[in-house]
Amino acid sequence: MSPGSKALAEFVAEATEILDALARDLLVLDERRGSEADPDLVNGIFRAAHSLKGLSGLFGQERISRLAHGTEDLLDRLRLGKLLLDGAVLDSLIEALDAFQALLGEAARGTESETLSARVEAMSARMASMGAPVEVAADDPLDRLELEAQVRSVFTEYEEHRLRENVRRGVSLWRVRAAFDLSDFDKGLAELNTRLKPLGEVISTLPSAQPGGAHGIAFDLIFGAQVDREALETGLKGTPAELSALTVRPAAAAATSALLQAVQPAATIHASAGAKSETRPGDAPTHDGAAGAAQDAVSGGVAAPDVPVRVTGAAPEAPRRGATPARGSRGAASRGTSEDAKASPAAGHSTSPKSGGKKKAVRATAAAMLPEAQQPLLSHVPEDMEPGPLEWPTSDADVPANAGGSPSPAPAPAPSSVPVVAYLQGAAKASPKGLSVAPMAPSGAPVGTPAALTADTSLRSLTQTVRVDIGRLDGLINMVGELLLIKANLQRLAESARQDGAVALSKLFGQELARETRGLERKLEALQEGLLEARMVPVGQVFDKLARLVRRITREAGKEIELAISGGEVELDKLIVEELSDPLMHLIRNAIDHGVESPDARLAAGKPRRAVVGLRAEQKGNHVVIEVSDDGSGIDEVRVREVAITRGLITFAQAQEMSRRELLNLIFQPGFSTARSVSELSGRGVGLDVVKNNLGNLSGIIDVWSERGKGTAFHLTLPVTLAIIRALLVGVSGRTYAVPLNSVLEIVSVQPREIRTVERREVLDLRGQTLPFVRLSRMFALPERPVGRHFVVVVGLAQERLGIAVDELHGQQDIVTKPLGGRLQSVRGISGATDLGNRRTVLVLDVAALLEEGMAVERRRA
Amino acid sequence: MRVKVLIVEDSKASREYIAAMVEAVEGIEVVVTSSGFEALKLLPRHRFELIITDINMPDINGLELINFVKKNPNYREVPLFIITTEGRDQDRERGLALGAAEYLVKPFLPGSLEALLRRYLKLP
Amino acid sequence: MSRFSELLDDFFYRPDEDVSGLQDFAAGSDGGLPAAPEEVPEEYLAFHLEGECYAVPIRGVREISKVPPLTEIPRAEPQLLGVMNLRGELLPVYDVKVRLRLAERAPLVAGPDAPAPPRSARILVLRTETGPAGVWVDGVVGVVKLKPSMLEAPPPGMRVGDRDCVVGMGRRGPMLYILLDAEQALAP
Repeated sequence: MSPGSKALAEFVAEATEILDALARDLLVLDERRGSEADPDLVNGIFRAAHSLKGLSGLFGQERISRLAHGTEDLLDRLRLGKLLLDGAVLDSLIEALDAFQALLGEAARGTESETLSARVEAMSARMASMGAPVEVAADDPLDRLELEAQVRSVFTEYEEHRLRENVRRGVSLWRVRAAFDLSDFDKGLAELNTRLKPLGEVISTLPSAQPGGAHGIAFDLIFGAQVDREALETGLKGTPAELSALTVRPAAAAATSALLQAVQPAATIHASAGAKSETRPGDAPTHDGAAGAAQDAVSGGVAAPDVPVRVTGAAPEAPRRGATPARGSRGAASRGTSEDAKASPAAGHSTSPKSGGKKKAVRATAAAMLPEAQQPLLSHVPEDMEPGPLEWPTSDADVPANAGGSPSPAPAPAPSSVPVVAYLQGAAKASPKGLSVAPMAPSGAPVGTPAALTADTSLRSLTQTVRVDIGRLDGLINMVGELLLIKANLQRLAESARQDGAVALSKLFGQELARETRGLERKLEALQEGLLEARMVPVGQVFDKLARLVRRITREAGKEIELAISGGEVELDKLIVEELSDPLMHLIRNAIDHGVESPDARLAAGKPRRAVVGLRAEQKGNHVVIEVSDDGSGIDEVRVREVAITRGLITFAQAQEMSRRELLNLIFQPGFSTARSVSELSGRGVGLDVVKNNLGNLSGIIDVWSERGKGTAFHLTLPVTLAIIRALLVGVSGRTYAVPLNSVLEIVSVQPREIRTVERREVLDLRGQTLPFVRLSRMFALPERPVGRHFVVVVGLAQERLGIAVDELHGQQDIVTKPLGGRLQSVRGISGATDLGNRRTVLVLDVAALLEEGMAVERRRA
Repeated sequence: MRVKVLIVEDSKASREYIAAMVEAVEGIEVVVTSSGFEALKLLPRHRFELIITDINMPDINGLELINFVKKNPNYREVPLFIITTEGRDQDRERGLALGAAEYLVKPFLPGSLEALLRRYLKLP
Repeated sequence: MSRFSELLDDFFYRPDEDVSGLQDFAAGSDGGLPAAPEEVPEEYLAFHLEGECYAVPIRGVREISKVPPLTEIPRAEPQLLGVMNLRGELLPVYDVKVRLRLAERAPLVAGPDAPAPPRSARILVLRTETGPAGVWVDGVVGVVKLKPSMLEAPPPGMRVGDRDCVVGMGRRGPMLYILLDAEQALAP
């Protein structure tokens, strides 16, 4: 490989990885459409776009870089809260993902289509103009957080935003300090993160600059807790973490109290709105009962918790100014308060000034009506001293149901970290029928269990896998192929030494050699098997992508569809899985667009509104069968027949003789399907011949079943691996060709006189059946040699049969096939080549293409 | 005696690209890592003459790494370069405020980095 | 070469590559871009075809191979002589003589009826836009350095059919090299 193509391969590999991650996360977002997005998820997607931009920039992939730039920018605004994640934005992101995939495809091929370039421009422009400019709020909630400027200065813009969001929402903030041994602090931190994640949001991880001893290092994690101190302490039991609370000063009290009064003029509210200007670190969010409360009351000089305080119209002194600096070294000192205050108007934050006050009022009201809810650091709402779960509103007016006093912390509904497809697969395993159905609607989307969440958040890589370029594996497999040839030579030598062993020593030597060669053979087989296994990937990889597609097409088509996936764990050769996505996409698209009826039509036919599209894989011996099914209207074979006759694919007489199954299989004929036939037929058509061809290249077979009114199912039968196949070696005109054995049905020996000619076309009688027959030498325009008899290799795919006459049979052999890539892709009738030793290259016949050709000849005859 | 330069960058392609650029400068030995955590682990084990770090990384961010280095008496003299992307002005400004010596905006050409390396490492 | 330096090799600015995008980027930085190229000679590989001396830029040549047994591809275009196996890699091998009007038909070099190839014959493995391709040559002359001033436009009579397979002539001392555009010569 040239250095250039190596770099390109490197780029494509890494970009693919990024896009896969992007697709996974977007799938989760898409599933949870309408609900609030997990900031981690949005940030993850942003990072993916960011990486893609950097990567494509480095590799001079200008179009990808440009689109990634636009996408990153959009995501940046999203994660920084400058833009709302609505349907339009999400659709744009999904569209961008599609465009990235198309761009990457072109980059890999070294092409650049105008249409795609135009699309990139249009999308970049649209994404740039998305969302309205956000009005800058008058005050920055972050100013109320007592945190050393020094600490704040190491936050990235994003971390700062998350901190601001947490303050704005009144989440209790903590500094979690933990010291670890330098040698394995990442493990310790990962564990700490795993524990913390279900309890809230880790906003930042700061290595403490103070040397933690010779071999130690300390970290401060800034943490927004969704649970109270007790739950937090329980959650962190056994870790070296020390907790200290961060203080948030009350918000502009004037507005708050005035509005409080406006909303609840006569309400008696516990504690004070503005007078309690300070919460001391260490005790603020805890409220371990009366002691803490009393302490608070004493040190803070505020009203005792059980003393009702009437909020009056006279606003107390603005708390920000009136705040007494916090005492104690552990907590945050409020140095630089005045600077913060000065800086605050400039700092952007997403609450609009128009609605800000009102929102606060609503929030305050909600809190006021929930006296049990603990509001440790929410100083702008009244505080209550009773321990209880922390309220964590997901929106200003939205109070979680658990706020009423259940002691167990219930994390806010975090977006599922488990893609729905995985869920479906999991469910499928448990389902007795092996096929599970899950609705595609967001409401049905499963929520990740805490266990799944924690597993996800570990910072260490959980996989034990190494990414290997498939080309490298191909190289190794080639090498095994060559070793196998050497082994065969050794075996021959050993055999001849054993047989010609006139001298005793030589005979003994021959036996030894034979034994060692057998040992070598076994090891080589194991090596070959291991390498083939290394190429295997679960077919679920492509199912995942399809699940996303289905969601989109379903939306576009205005249909209601459940996608039932099973067997995603079935493994296939990587190459096959890659090549499968296009044919499967085609079939699924057809199923949704044309197979499945509209909800109303379904109801009229007495079917449930919601249609089921099935995608299942199953291993059967050396083959994998993939089924794409729908419970739609089925294919109308009468229409198929009409179309086939109109298009001259078959004659009327032929049609009369054809079985229903044969008629259905006409849909795979090139020229059968056109855009027009799609709308005419109740069924399908777009490019099914292409699908069939794609599968033929994979030595696969496609078959269709359909019943009117009941639905349609396509069965794709594929070999488990392509790399090494068993082949029959045949000789024609002095040339050698390999025929994949999986498509050979039988071999018959035929005398020239047994060949009959029907309407200038040669056929054979095979047990009473007429078998179409071609001479490979004629088909390939090779000089024919006179032979006393022909060997006829009967090949079959799906329902089609063809006899191929050859001169000689050379036996069977495992061969390592190489595709005729690059400049030779358009060669007809040859699917690849293999090396049989002595540097001789033998071509592998493309049985599907030859069948097609043979059949075409037959049809022309009619 | 070659001097050691630490490169902290989570994107593999960027990391190898930058590493290749730095390695091309004679007299430099490159140590690379994909994470801030790893960087913290590497610091006491090597004597780095210069550190090049990305800002947005998944574990600890580059600013925190700069702060850690600059606050630690053992490392505070080590010059730090930050790698940023255009548009992230706040992060860049903070990095410089924390004591980063230089910033590079991705993508950049080998020449600009090489000149900076030579200046800070006092290479001929 | 280490993996890094290979990567580096791909990234580094080279005057023969179009890097306009990068240059825009570098504007304002003190990027170490080389000065405007002076008389930088380029290396060509010279070879014989039917007694004539042709040459291609050496950066387009991946390697030179002796002629292995070639396997003909049935029903392929006549220009495609066959495929060869080069250390496990499958490469197409082409004839360019017919296109250059040096021969009436492509030589029979593949299949069971092909005679042994002449001793001096070689296959040049060229990098093309659609992947590596072998080209049959009668013999390899060697590497020649040609400065821009040694290059001339092709004589009008050399234009071949509807394609410009010849991009120019290189004159070095008494020798005249016909500069071949491999991409054109191998186009289907």
